[in-house]
Amino acid sequence: MRNLIFSFAMLACGLKAQPTVAPTPEPVGPPRGENAGTYNVLNSFELGYRFRAVGGDLGKYRSDVNFGNGIKLLGSRLQMNSRDGRGRFFDELTLTTQGIGGDPYQSSILRLEKNKLYRYDMSWRLAEYFNPGLRVSEGLHALNTSRRFQDHDFTLFPQSAFKLFAGYTRNSQDGPGLSTIQIFDSRGDEFPLFTEIRRQRNEYRLGGEATLAGFTLNVLKGWDNWKDDSLLNVNQRLAGASTTDNTTLSTFRRNEPYHGNSPYWRLFLNRNSRRFGMNARYSNVSGRRDFVVDELTLGTDRLAAARNRQILVLGNGSRPVSTANLNLAFHPTARLTVTNHTGFHHTRMNGDSAYTEIDNNTTAGETVNFSFLGIRTIETLSDVSYAVSKTAGLYGGYHYSTRRIRSRQGQSFDGFAESQAFEQDNRVHSGLAGLRLRPMKALTIQLDGELGRANRPFFPISEKNYHALNARARYRSRVFSASAQARTFYNTNSTTLFSHSSFTRQYSFDGSYTPRGWLSVDAGYTKIHLDTNTGIAYFAASQLHEGNRSIYISNLHTGYFGARLVLGKRADLYLGYSIVRDLGDGRSASSVIPLYSQTTVADASPVFLAAQTFPLSYQAPLARLSIRLHEKLRWNVGYQHYSYHEDFAQVFYQNYRAHTGYVSLLWSF
Amino acid sequence: MVQILLYLVLAGTRAFSQTPSPGPFADAIAKASPEGYVGNSVCRACHPNIYQNFFRNPHQKSILSGKEPPEKTGCEGCHGPGRKHLEASGGKTTIPFAFSLMKPAEALDRCLTCHGKDFTRADIRRSSHSQSDVACNNCHSIHNSPVPKSLLARQQTALCYQCHPGVRAQFSMPSRHRVNEGFMNCTDCHNPHGTPAPTWRAGLRPRMVTQALANEEPCLKCHTDKRGPFAFEHAAVRVDGCETCHFPHGSPNPKLFRRATTFALCLECHNGAGNFGRNGDGVTVQAPFHDLRSPRFQNCTTCHFRIHGSNADSRFLR
Repeated sequence: MRNLIFSFAMLACGLKAQPTVAPTPEPVGPPRGENAGTYNVLNSFELGYRFRAVGGDLGKYRSDVNFGNGIKLLGSRLQMNSRDGRGRFFDELTLTTQGIGGDPYQSSILRLEKNKLYRYDMSWRLAEYFNPGLRVSEGLHALNTSRRFQDHDFTLFPQSAFKLFAGYTRNSQDGPGLSTIQIFDSRGDEFPLFTEIRRQRNEYRLGGEATLAGFTLNVLKGWDNWKDDSLLNVNQRLAGASTTDNTTLSTFRRNEPYHGNSPYWRLFLNRNSRRFGMNARYSNVSGRRDFVVDELTLGTDRLAAARNRQILVLGNGSRPVSTANLNLAFHPTARLTVTNHTGFHHTRMNGDSAYTEIDNNTTAGETVNFSFLGIRTIETLSDVSYAVSKTAGLYGGYHYSTRRIRSRQGQSFDGFAESQAFEQDNRVHSGLAGLRLRPMKALTIQLDGELGRANRPFFPISEKNYHALNARARYRSRVFSASAQARTFYNTNSTTLFSHSSFTRQYSFDGSYTPRGWLSVDAGYTKIHLDTNTGIAYFAASQLHEGNRSIYISNLHTGYFGARLVLGKRADLYLGYSIVRDLGDGRSASSVIPLYSQTTVADASPVFLAAQTFPLSYQAPLARLSIRLHEKLRWNVGYQHYSYHEDFAQVFYQNYRAHTGYVSLLWSF
Repeated sequence: MVQILLYLVLAGTRAFSQTPSPGPFADAIAKASPEGYVGNSVCRACHPNIYQNFFRNPHQKSILSGKEPPEKTGCEGCHGPGRKHLEASGGKTTIPFAFSLMKPAEALDRCLTCHGKDFTRADIRRSSHSQSDVACNNCHSIHNSPVPKSLLARQQTALCYQCHPGVRAQFSMPSRHRVNEGFMNCTDCHNPHGTPAPTWRAGLRPRMVTQALANEEPCLKCHTDKRGPFAFEHAAVRVDGCETCHFPHGSPNPKLFRRATTFALCLECHNGAGNFGRNGDGVTVQAPFHDLRSPRFQNCTTCHFRIHGSNADSRFLR
């Protein structure tokens, strides 16, 4: 029976993680592994061929999905455990991989451990990111980059009262991108610039932990180095984005090496006892960056005059950050828990950059810009949780924060200096109350609400007067589970001559049913409604338009369905479907006013008076068949279709339909 | 009379059945410590399924160390002394700490006996999960974990989705972080065991979002080029965080934007409304030459392309 339940759990795993068709989740090989010497070995490798055929906008497909053609090691798992815990070099080795050999999302995770002596964790990930400058957001900045992450953590004496840590993290990004530059002044034309992105972050960590007399002290020291050596070059005559502008660009070169480091300290002290817990954390980071920008531009300006401009910028930025937290937890009885969290955070951002512009061999003079932004936040969060009975519990809390933002912006030019300093405070009070019910063992119900008041938010769309309501119910038995959830969040941030409101409502239902060992089904539906209404101001034909509104309405309906059938004793069939539909504000596509059609001043207002609504649909049905050829061998085939369709009016649609799939062998040896 | 005799016979049988049969455990019961600890090897006789695979379980280390006291090692380290369980010849109710029968808070207390000193669990008592009675054994399956790491009851995303269907829906959007693709996990950005108050926004929300080592938003762990420090920081990034402009999980809009068009995103803050911004007289309105009728001015980041922060220009133009 226990094995049966375990099998059901495994089936449910496969169902819930449906969205991509491969790798195959079915297990292969003996479940208990095979013994080799003093080790037990579990292993599986899935090698297969992925294919795709895309109709429509390939760029949008690559941005959303990006699976391609070719042979891949779709997934693998190797686990070796010492059965007696006394392996010579290691007692545990776990290595899992996914998508190796060209998938856009590849990963590899390794754990190596020798009991009492060491533990080593490594993760490596690679993401191929493609953005063709998607048009809805009108982004002209295309990227086709690879980002690689690796983390290494080594612990010496992991089970003793005294431990040592060492770690290394590397994050690199490289590849071509398309950027833009506006020349020669703020009314000049914009030009595309190809850029070669080369960014790298290296972080080194050393630390230790000691436990003595019930106290645990954890100390970590890190060095975080960053460099950006991306290149921007143009050596051909380019036309700008505007057809009516005379600006041309014949040569452009920008070098802007940007290097720096952020060394940090972190201290953590912990004491945990039967009725009382206390821990404190302090960290300090002293970030600093140095930079040089050397930019050379040759061409003609918007008045058709020949221009030869060099810009030199030198400077540095620093951001020391201090954070401290104190947590206190009292649980005098098994029913009552009282906690308090007090935090302090202080960020000071300083920067200065000396700007020199040389136009047609005439130096305009050096301008030194300097800026300071300081944010100090203190918050205290007190919470209580009380179990009234076996079937009911209450919880609540009062949260308070005060934030002070100081800023200074200044400029110095030819001995004349100007500086402005500002300071403002913002306090937030928030209360939370909730109720937990468990009328029967399989059923849990939770209701809570939060009310918050801020006196002076920093931004027009920040939270000011907000309340949130949550309700959740869940029923769970061995063959059937169902849950329902409703969440709403309302925020208004209005002042005398300005208003902003934001309403979010989310309703979800889902369930899974496993009536037989050979059949499992799950399905779910979620509605996410967002509508915001914000006052805006903008210029059209040099006239300021105030009192207009930006109204954004999104009505997202999402659903998924998955069914898994075991056919005979050898075949597993999985059928799945997921859909996202944004119905906008309910209007048909033809009645939505195009955003970019205005040609006169009088027409400018409707740009924003029209509700911004972008109906679209995104569907991904899939089917996968896995046949057990042998205890150690499975043959798999799968197909997944992606369909993206925009129902709003714009000049270029980005719709696509993609047929993707794979054939693979999953084996254990 | 027959009924009385029958009752006596049945009662006798029932009483006999409840009497512990020392059998193979008599020796173990006799050797039990004064607190009732009998040792792990006794458990394997009746629970071979658990025992056979236990060498893969991280808790095996407590047995192998050979130095841990009985209350901190093996089966009895978690479930308590086993003498009563042996004397009763089994039964869940005779296990001092049977997790399936324990209240969530009790299960949490039990696990924290050993796991409470870890840095990553410093905030577990005040976490939203603890408040909601989600205890350790709701997410971790100590004896039957199908995943190789952390003894999770399911693959991590599936585990989180079962209580957070709305988040699952967000990760189904066209523009999304690649969680469903297996490239990243929920715990890359969240700590299910609770986190300190955020260092961005007003410090109260969002909850359960982990922080990068410099106590920054977790987004900057991967998107390091947005991190800075810059000579000119875009205040929105530092004051209210990345969520000012982006949905973190998924969005129907490209680049995880909160709005489908760039100008709507920018103008909702840059509207000059009083009381807001650095100097309290509004976040700067654009200059008059920006003619919003023209597409070139509707794409703010075409020119202001260093929008996350710049070293050379306070308007993020270079």
